[in-house]
Amino acid sequence: MANEDYVTVSGDDWYQRRRQDKEGEFFRKVADQGPRKGQGGSTRQGIYCFTADGELLMYKNAGQNADVMREVLEQGLAKWKRLPESRRKPGAVEVGDHGTVDRRYVRIPPRGGLIAVVYTRILDKDSKGEICKGTCPTLGGERAARDHLWLTSDEVRSFIPADAKAGSTFAIPSAIAERILRFHLVDNTRGEPPAWRREDIRKSEMKLTVTAMTESECRLQFSGQALLADASDAASSKRGYEVALAGELRYDRKAGNFTRFDITAVGEHWGEGAFTRGARPGRQLLGVAIELAGDKPADRIPPQFAREWNAYFGKN
Amino acid sequence: MKASHLVCSIFATTLALNVASAVEPFSPQRFEQARSVIRPQKGEDKWEQIAWRTDLWEARKEAAAAGKPILLWEMDGHPLGCT
Repeated sequence: MANEDYVTVSGDDWYQRRRQDKEGEFFRKVADQGPRKGQGGSTRQGIYCFTADGELLMYKNAGQNADVMREVLEQGLAKWKRLPESRRKPGAVEVGDHGTVDRRYVRIPPRGGLIAVVYTRILDKDSKGEICKGTCPTLGGERAARDHLWLTSDEVRSFIPADAKAGSTFAIPSAIAERILRFHLVDNTRGEPPAWRREDIRKSEMKLTVTAMTESECRLQFSGQALLADASDAASSKRGYEVALAGELRYDRKAGNFTRFDITAVGEHWGEGAFTRGARPGRQLLGVAIELAGDKPADRIPPQFAREWNAYFGKN
Repeated sequence: MKASHLVCSIFATTLALNVASAVEPFSPQRFEQARSVIRPQKGEDKWEQIAWRTDLWEARKEAAAAGKPILLWEMDGHPLGCT
């Protein structure tokens, strides 16, 4: 029903409710017809059905609840069909140009940089001691959460020292290590987590070893470990992640980009944030898998913490 | 050679990582197994069956031209890329 009867679009309310341009004004006009009017700058998140000229047909705030989504779709479509044909027919509504975009609330991937998708999932061990999916009472909390990692073209090219050769081992650039640690080794499986502060990185080592080098390609083994904790004494910290990392990277030396960027992190996480309540008690296994993104529109969605652009790129 | 075998063969030449004190050592094979569990399984996320666009203004234009209503999934944290 969604694909056939609707034009489907998704968005991040944090940006949409702030944008001071035609798109932001249009979104707020639609949303303000419903119960969530964003008083005091608060969220307008939810599932909306509306017409191209901005009449709200149906709204519910249901997250990933498929049953509620279906109900919204059906009721919204029923209201749509009750509108006069003159308003529903193709071309009945004219949508003008977007006009000037409010760049403060639009994020565009760095030109020539790297986009990787970051999956995070709560884990457990089965009766044989093998890693398996974890379970938790929070709706959707057992599913893999997604985010994206962005690197600039300069950062991509900074990975491998000019004098590297097979067998060379070196640390990954500190700014990149910090970005992965602070913004991507987080438990976002139940909502928006807090990022780690710089001082929360209690211990870290992330290095690359060249396993093969040809004129066209450099293959690298990634390994690392880290201790992230919101107190200097990890044992008494409220939130932390003690984690090991491994992976394989392949760098196209002629094109100057990665053709493989697989990193896996597994370790014990504990604690929760203000918007990620419902964590399993104590230290629990949490895994993160990073890999190159594809070329779908969803692959260009910005990293969650790129809202604070300068902080994400280590500029402050 | 399958990617997973290649990764294992590369890792096989190295020692298992003996990570921070409270985390048990992980062999390369164990990392690879964990990776296969962490990544979403095919069909796991039902919302992937829907062709979500990410540009509201373009969606308006498309809906107007096609004579269809718009379905907007709006979350605080992008629903396709945050949680």
